[in-house]
Amino acid sequence: MKYEMKPLFKERMQKLLPDEKDFQKYCEIVRIPPRNFIRCNTIKISPSELLERLSKKWKVIQPYPNYPEIMLVQDNLSPGELGNSIEHLLGYYYIQEVCSMMSPIALSPQPNDFILDLCASPGSKTTQIAAMMKNQGTIIANDLKLDRIMILSANIEKSAITNTIISKNDAIALCSKLSKTSFKFDKILLDAPCSGEGTLRSSPKTFLMWNDKIIKKFSRQQKKFIAFAVKCLKKGGTIVYSTCTHSPEENEEVIDFAIKNFPLRIEKIHLPLKCREGITLWEGKQFSDEVKKACRIYPQDNDSEGFFVCKMTLLDDQFKNNSSMSKIIEEIEK
Amino acid sequence: MNAQFIKTPEKRRIIEQLNEQFGIQELPFLLIESGKEKIRGFSGHLSKDEIIELGKILNIEVIGLYILKKEDNLFRLSLDATHLLKKQITKNIIEINDAQLQEWIRGHDLDTKMQKGIVVIKNHDDFFGCGRSSGDKIFNHIPRERRIKK
Repeated sequence: MKYEMKPLFKERMQKLLPDEKDFQKYCEIVRIPPRNFIRCNTIKISPSELLERLSKKWKVIQPYPNYPEIMLVQDNLSPGELGNSIEHLLGYYYIQEVCSMMSPIALSPQPNDFILDLCASPGSKTTQIAAMMKNQGTIIANDLKLDRIMILSANIEKSAITNTIISKNDAIALCSKLSKTSFKFDKILLDAPCSGEGTLRSSPKTFLMWNDKIIKKFSRQQKKFIAFAVKCLKKGGTIVYSTCTHSPEENEEVIDFAIKNFPLRIEKIHLPLKCREGITLWEGKQFSDEVKKACRIYPQDNDSEGFFVCKMTLLDDQFKNNSSMSKIIEEIEK
Repeated sequence: MNAQFIKTPEKRRIIEQLNEQFGIQELPFLLIESGKEKIRGFSGHLSKDEIIELGKILNIEVIGLYILKKEDNLFRLSLDATHLLKKQITKNIIEINDAQLQEWIRGHDLDTKMQKGIVVIKNHDDFFGCGRSSGDKIFNHIPRERRIKK
């Protein structure tokens, strides 16, 4: 079924993509189902072995030479075919859209890191991070609801991940409790719940569900998440903030809020996809020039879904007193 | 947090038995008993005490990976544990042919005569978890959600 783009959504996207041809390309590609990307689970098999096996049944390529684990199946597959192979049963690969692989790449996990994945379900990024860590170090993979925890747990099992502890907590409560302890993280992934504007190709129902009130609600929640998450970082630690949406309220506005309230420095990131820089003006709101270092991924640039990712370093951890946090939270609620 | 950390002497006994059953000599994990006779393995850098401390702060649901289950004084390795430990598994392996594999991955039992006990299922270079042999049948333990449909 084809859903229509809501007028306000169209208007907003036209503002983000002022070039008419660019906007037309966007409108065309969001009507096409996404390509079939998979990620080799290097905990169980090497990319070269997996490629050799899969090449016997499908046409598979490794589009990014520096990331051999990212593979693209070029055949026209029948529904469910990718998920019903022996190699998938064995957990040799994970079906994952290429955009979603960008946040772990930006996070750049190392084997001995202590990492918090705050909104972890369904686990695509958690399992990618664990594979990059070679099952060493520790990941705390958190989510809120039991049904989401079950999916996360099943995917972690299937990928044979052994360095992860799964917790079921409200993200803000968890960070609030952790910040009062000596547990501090080297790296935090905040892949925040969002309005999902970037997922139109895989979930066309987003056309129908989208509304601007949801954006404002998510934006407030995302600012709270990042404010509390930063309290759990080590000095010099990094936080990657990502969403699968294009709306600046959920992206640059959140980053602008974070760098204005906390001693965070935005880092330039190098990803294997074409990125456009973060925007600095939206609906009369001016953001810091620094947010240009954030990465906007558009479907028409990479034949992918849409995504946003930004990496920040915590420069100083002497900022966390409760009265200033209360003021920050009050500010968000306004 | 409903988890019991397995102490070193007990871990030693587990490895001895795994060695006897499958030839496994090393379990590079912190072992945790997590109900229903299941044992999980954690390879992270946090110590037992640190995990207990974390458990006072967080609602910990799961630690590490499900590795094995105790069944009638025998151990049955999980599907994913057979992958992690495949270089160590040398005993009680049954190599199945491609036709048998098609049955196995769909959750069917195999009509195969062999000694009673737990066996590791292998096809070419791939490990497909463990099955329980009754003497003339190997009962399937591939988790329902992992089976091939159709």
